[in-house]
Amino acid sequence: MIAPLALIGLIALPIIIAFYMLRLRRRDVPVGSTFLWQQLIRDVEANAPWQKLRFSWLLLVQLLIAAIVVLAAARPFSAVESDLAANVVLIVDTSASMATRTDDEDRMALARERARDVVERLPVGGRITVVAAADTADVLVSETDDTDAAIEAIDGITATQLPGDLTDAFALSSALALRDADSTVVVVTDAAGDELPEVGVGAPVLVERIGTTDANQAIAALSALRRAGGAQLDLFVAVSNPSTVEATRRLEVYADGELVDARELTLPAGQRSEALVSTVPSAARLVEARLAGPDALITDDRAFAVVPADETTRALLVGDGNAYLESALALLPRLELYAIDEDGYSDAIADAEEEGAPYGLLVFDGVVPDEAPQVPALYLDPGSDGPFGTVGEQIENPVIDRTDPDEPLLRFVDLSTVHIGRARELSLTEGMRAVVETSGGSPLVAVGEVDGHRIGLIGFDLGESDLPLQVAFPLLMSNLTEILLPAGEGILPSSMRLGESVSVAVDPRIERVFVDNTGTPDLPGATSVGLEVSVVGGRVMIPGADLVGLREVRSVSDLPELADMRLGQTAINLFSPDESDVAPGDPQRIIEMGRVTAGDEPALQPTRAEWWWPLALAALALLAVEWLLFHRPTRRSLARAFRRRPQPLGGRAR
Amino acid sequence: MTATERAPFFDETFLRRLEQLELASRRMTAGRMKGERRSVRRGQSVEFADYRNYTAGDDLRQLDWNAYARLEKLFVKLFVEEEDVTVHILVDASRSMDYGQPNKLDAARRAAAALGYLGLASMDRVSVAFLGDGASSGMRPMRGKRRALELFRFLAEPRTERLTGLAAAARAYASRMRGSGPLLLISDLMDPGYLDALRNLAGTRCQLSVLHLLAPDELEPEVPPDARLVDNETGHAVEVSGDDDLVERYRARLAEWQAEIASFVSRRGGAYVQVPSDLDLSDLLFDVLRRRRVVE
Repeated sequence: MIAPLALIGLIALPIIIAFYMLRLRRRDVPVGSTFLWQQLIRDVEANAPWQKLRFSWLLLVQLLIAAIVVLAAARPFSAVESDLAANVVLIVDTSASMATRTDDEDRMALARERARDVVERLPVGGRITVVAAADTADVLVSETDDTDAAIEAIDGITATQLPGDLTDAFALSSALALRDADSTVVVVTDAAGDELPEVGVGAPVLVERIGTTDANQAIAALSALRRAGGAQLDLFVAVSNPSTVEATRRLEVYADGELVDARELTLPAGQRSEALVSTVPSAARLVEARLAGPDALITDDRAFAVVPADETTRALLVGDGNAYLESALALLPRLELYAIDEDGYSDAIADAEEEGAPYGLLVFDGVVPDEAPQVPALYLDPGSDGPFGTVGEQIENPVIDRTDPDEPLLRFVDLSTVHIGRARELSLTEGMRAVVETSGGSPLVAVGEVDGHRIGLIGFDLGESDLPLQVAFPLLMSNLTEILLPAGEGILPSSMRLGESVSVAVDPRIERVFVDNTGTPDLPGATSVGLEVSVVGGRVMIPGADLVGLREVRSVSDLPELADMRLGQTAINLFSPDESDVAPGDPQRIIEMGRVTAGDEPALQPTRAEWWWPLALAALALLAVEWLLFHRPTRRSLARAFRRRPQPLGGRAR
Repeated sequence: MTATERAPFFDETFLRRLEQLELASRRMTAGRMKGERRSVRRGQSVEFADYRNYTAGDDLRQLDWNAYARLEKLFVKLFVEEEDVTVHILVDASRSMDYGQPNKLDAARRAAAALGYLGLASMDRVSVAFLGDGASSGMRPMRGKRRALELFRFLAEPRTERLTGLAAAARAYASRMRGSGPLLLISDLMDPGYLDALRNLAGTRCQLSVLHLLAPDELEPEVPPDARLVDNETGHAVEVSGDDDLVERYRARLAEWQAEIASFVSRRGGAYVQVPSDLDLSDLLFDVLRRRRVVE
């Protein structure tokens, strides 16, 4: 089959012949004498515009070239069936779980091998886009038919330490598939983890699933808490075993680089074990937990925690009195709790200011002050509008909608069994975001920052809910306090997730800050280097980290007193159950995100095996022949260089 | 380039090498002055040739008294008289010779200078002339090595001839030539009257040698597919389609032409030597011309 319109080009053939019949303007070549030539010439003809067409190899070659070029332009093809379409988007998963490595398995090397195989299976004339996908998509080569470039790009792909999220990669694939209906998306992945993007792909999706092992254990959580009084430091460590066999691992705890605790943990299959370590010196500032010994993924065998300075914050609870709330807040070691009713609020604030010991956190239970406070505040069951937004009618028996599992406010908080009798219908102001909503979309729990002050909001009366009776309540209050009063070392919170960026205030005289990643150069994908970020208007945006370990921010300034100061330190940890569960997942879930055809097996795609390229090669070869024919003097001088020079009749020249 | 600007033809070493050679003269010639060559005349050299009976008036010093003592008859001893010869060197100076890489006319000047020097070094009379525009322009015959510089200057002079008129020029030279000896024609013979010219020169009492000088690209032409060959001498143009067939036919015609000339010259006792203009002069003199017995 061909595109017949291109055959119009065949008109070039008679044009070439016409050129040969035209008497062409000849090139003047001076010779000593035409004495001999005159005796040879048969074709000294009259000055007619046309001459008789004589056979010429050059003409034949040029006609052949023209015919082949026209044929190639007609894009001849044969219809074939392939599991790949002419346009392929190859997504290579580079999330942390792809760094899985055992004696029998190197998951990333396998992924590269499969990806190369996809390139080699491309149909003739096919194009490929190579995308490396971790938490975002990185396009390495775009819609190229240069398979060498694609393979070179694939060879350079390495695993990262980042959690996987195919959303970007699938959105990109959708865009590419929209431009070319004859597209296939191929995902090379271990399909580990539960989370899948919500976007669909308008093209068939094939999955090259790799990986076999699931033998991995991980540090799932690490937090350092000071006991009230600050004399003792407790370390909470959670270790998970997502594999299908029981494992025993040795947990080691280091404080400021010194081993302070080591213990054997027996980890049942699919279970999680927790340990409370109380042997950490209270003066320690940096704590690291390690799972000793090898396993499939070493990225999650280490976790860090920066211990915040021993500081307490004065908190004032304003309301009619709520035993559950007071108990929960009193348990928080960082708070020094005071309580007062609504009428005494103004005086209490004024007194505290006067004493030079202002409150660092205000909790309003059923109360909204006339004037927005200038410190972080938590509002419960607000009766009127406030800095958080506006308050509407009551909602009876609201149902809690599905929550984001990655939401830090809901860390370790299970709201699935919580019931609420009544709630306020709320409308949030700019800067606030809903964390928990009713099924109707009304916020139940929200956090945010308005006019530079952090605000927390619980939109229902605790007395109208069974939340205070559940274990989720103190955890929720603890998390809310962490958000409203972020514990940290300097300008940074004590811990951050991979990829999480943060905007922080610094001394406006500082021009730039240097962000450095330290601690885990031996982990896979540890390729990041430090970077400098400019300070704008006294604030600096610290970009998300892509490495597990410690992150430190130092000042860069021409002023000696501000130069090279440590502004903050934070711990960056993986803590991703999806990535730690390295067991290969079900590829069908990913396949179903694409355009699915009937039948269990992936349908073969009708595609074109194009044949223009051998024609182009033939045209190129003929062009070389034409050059040889046309440029005979060069050919002859080459031949003469390998031949003995002619001898004069009078004898040998030499 | 003027004669004074032109680089000297040869260095001292080459000239000394040249003196080891001399132009061969297969016919014994009758010269005017006693030279270093045998003459058909019987004379007073030391080389005995024959006896004849004494007749009145013979020089009594030539009587062979020993023969008279034995035979009592008077015999006069005859000796081969050694006489000089005239070396004629003719250089075709037409525009067709001013062509090629290396230039044919330059090669002809150098060959003529070398051959002329051979003659001067052998105490022969040397007559050199350029042929062109249907006439010959030469210098007075000269003798002796001290005239070499004059010879070289003459040969180095720029030429203005356009057309050969080879036959007419040869006839003009033959008609006024004096003395006999080797006659060397250096030409590409690219003239319709080339056979007449050879006939005119072969008709003299001289021994004709033809140095047929052609440029390398006249021996192995390279012609573009659509070319207009412009004659360097006449300006006449010939349109050709330079395919392999044409070049093969040219080669065949060239070989046929060379054979025709060689046969013509040979039948008249002369020597024909094909000389590519890129042939080294020392190879020409010490190898090619020696083999052809033009020099010895």
